[in-house]
Amino acid sequence: MISDHSKRNIELAFQKAARASLVRGAGDVCEIVPTEIRKAGLPHGGRIVLITISSFIFRLMTIFRLVESPATRAYFRASAADQTLEDVFAEFANLCCGVLSRELSQSFPHLAMSIPETLSSHCIEFLRELNPQYLSSYLITINDSVRLQATLCLSCSAPVEVADSAAAAESGHVVGELEMF
Amino acid sequence: MNFNDPTSSADARSRTKVDTAALLPRIDELTLEAARLKTLAVAFERWHQDMIGMTAQNRTMSSKGEDLASAARQLIMLSLNAAIEAARAGDAARGFVVVAAETKTLAQRVQVLSGDIGKTLHKSELMTTTTFQDIQAGGKMMMAAISGLELLVKQLRSGIS
Repeated sequence: MISDHSKRNIELAFQKAARASLVRGAGDVCEIVPTEIRKAGLPHGGRIVLITISSFIFRLMTIFRLVESPATRAYFRASAADQTLEDVFAEFANLCCGVLSRELSQSFPHLAMSIPETLSSHCIEFLRELNPQYLSSYLITINDSVRLQATLCLSCSAPVEVADSAAAAESGHVVGELEMF
Repeated sequence: MNFNDPTSSADARSRTKVDTAALLPRIDELTLEAARLKTLAVAFERWHQDMIGMTAQNRTMSSKGEDLASAARQLIMLSLNAAIEAARAGDAARGFVVVAAETKTLAQRVQVLSGDIGKTLHKSELMTTTTFQDIQAGGKMMMAAISGLELLVKQLRSGIS
């Protein structure tokens, strides 16, 4: 249903989006390392932010799991101290998925995005119930102090072909490991 | 068409004019149909509200599931304390030892059940939310497609008239 080439292009598009949108400033260092969903080494509990990008033939769920720490709070709430970390981070996640959606719209003209929702992090254990054809996960570290996990989960009802985009042309970046169910 | 005959191109122009005139009522129908399709937004809004209600209900159930898990943990601690106290009391509390043991067994069953309920609720929360988001995004996608269709019809009409 989805070729390895397309999976790679989705990963490159996501990495481009993450580097562009999850950081506050252009000088911030964003390191993206492939990981397994259950072996990211993050503490148990907490909340996740979920955003869905839908097309007529597939839906791509992006799940962000933030590790709460003083460094994380200071980083994301620096310019929005009156908002909760969850709300502020949901805006960053929304921007990231907006860039990802734009990248994918080069292959799928009719794409739309949901608004972010927060859920218990235990929900991640049930991603296989969504019958994903593609699943990959990354550990993202910003400035060596802020840590979060991002997971991409794609379910499709027809063959999905994601063409090379500008992100694919810059493909010097690391590509995530696939977790097959 | 006879290219040497000056009257033939005039005939063709005239025929085209008649054809495009016949198209206008069909374009009106297309415009009307696109406008009708746009009322899908009302249905999407209804589904959206229903899903918000379901999501809220899931959250309430998750919260109650956590309360149940907490109560089960307390019940196990209580049954352990009861077993210790019964053992201290010796023969006089032989019957109480049995009650404490049964309470512990019951508490463990409740804990297993509450764990299963918790998992079911998390699964339900994920599936409801992803369905909700798919409907939400799908609604936006269809409305954008209908707007695109409306624009094409408008361009077609202005091209003809």
